[in-house]
Amino acid sequence: MIELSNNQLTFRFPEVHQKAVCRINFQRTLRIPDDNREYPLPPGLGRFPVEHVDDFADNLPETWRTHGGVFIPMYQSEALWINFPSSRYPCAVKIAAGRINAVSGKPWSNGLSDDQDYAVIPEQPWLDGFNVSEDHIRQFVAMPLGEGFTAEEQITGKVEHGGLQIIVYPMKHDIFMEHFERYGKICSYTLEEGPMFLSAPDMGLAPGGLMRQEIHEDEYGIDAWDQDNGLRCFVHLVNSAHYLAITGHRPPHKPPTADDYTSAGLPWFDYYDDSRALAGSRILSRLHSVAAKMIEQGKGLMPDNDPVQPGIVKVIRKGNVVRDGRF
Amino acid sequence: MTFGKHVREHREILKSRDRRFSVRQVARRIGVEPAYLSKIERGDVAPPSEAKTRALARELGEDPDVLLAMAGKVSSDLQEIIRKRPRLFAELIRQLKSAPDHAILHIARDVRDGDW
Repeated sequence: MIELSNNQLTFRFPEVHQKAVCRINFQRTLRIPDDNREYPLPPGLGRFPVEHVDDFADNLPETWRTHGGVFIPMYQSEALWINFPSSRYPCAVKIAAGRINAVSGKPWSNGLSDDQDYAVIPEQPWLDGFNVSEDHIRQFVAMPLGEGFTAEEQITGKVEHGGLQIIVYPMKHDIFMEHFERYGKICSYTLEEGPMFLSAPDMGLAPGGLMRQEIHEDEYGIDAWDQDNGLRCFVHLVNSAHYLAITGHRPPHKPPTADDYTSAGLPWFDYYDDSRALAGSRILSRLHSVAAKMIEQGKGLMPDNDPVQPGIVKVIRKGNVVRDGRF
Repeated sequence: MTFGKHVREHREILKSRDRRFSVRQVARRIGVEPAYLSKIERGDVAPPSEAKTRALARELGEDPDVLLAMAGKVSSDLQEIIRKRPRLFAELIRQLKSAPDHAILHIARDVRDGDW
């Protein structure tokens, strides 16, 4: 089952192992400049609020009720990263945006691919964007559907899904026992870490600025994952402007710009881990970033997109992964 | 233990470490007369309003729901929740009245997966 508590999704697989639990939350962050320069990791500015679709079904589009799942509010051009905190039991997590796999760039399918279209938790502490090269991702940036920015629209030419899709597969029971329980090896790190609906509130994720981040190679191999016991969740993205009308709750304030944050002397982060990284997806590497697309569409320069020079870059390592920004 | 006695005991413990927890100073911070707070502590008058009880809980570092319950009150936001769906929540609370704490804490709601 998947529980929602404190704005965090908890995927539990008691039928596989009592410890088979995977937690996922969505971190607010600043949008890094989309200027083809490479940036370190921006901070986490706290979790996005997460709501059950069923709790506000009367105010949401029919398709959302069909998809089920949850929704989170995002401003246009706001960025997010997906946080995988406190994992003790290895899981394979497949993430898609608009049903485009964020690791491989291929259309959604249940199940895992031999070409590793998933991330392995806890080796992967977070995912900030689309896997465009061995060392880089392009940041997840929320954009309205229908304007051609999202990865889904750029790849399929259609506006069908939006949002984020997640499926989690736990490690097979026997393999977990073999690797972790028999020798008492512990694999854990701690991260801190009346219908009001009038127009479409739907958002999708588009590729933003370039960030140094690797998707780590699966050390266990595809046969380690219990694909008979996956759990899926559709995470809809609602424009923050609609969120108050739909839920009666205020959305979080807009995050600071990268320039404001950096000028305040606050830290950026670099993560070091010597495990092997996956190659980038050729499909995803060919996507146009939001800023490039705006110019292509004749909409001019992207606002708040001046280059910044991160002054303080804190180095974080496996086992001590704190990526917390106070602003 | 009565509401007043509980408040007094807890306040006196804090006062033994920090003089700012005298009747006079606590009363001033929660916006009541010291004489009134003394009467509350002695049980001479009924517990204060929900707002003052919450202020007292904040001041003494106590859980407001627990202090409200000791004052014989139910938080207004909980009342609102029950008033919206009285039959459902009354039934739920009655069903759970004897369940052990851990069972109540483990009541979790599944995130529904749909068709996509």
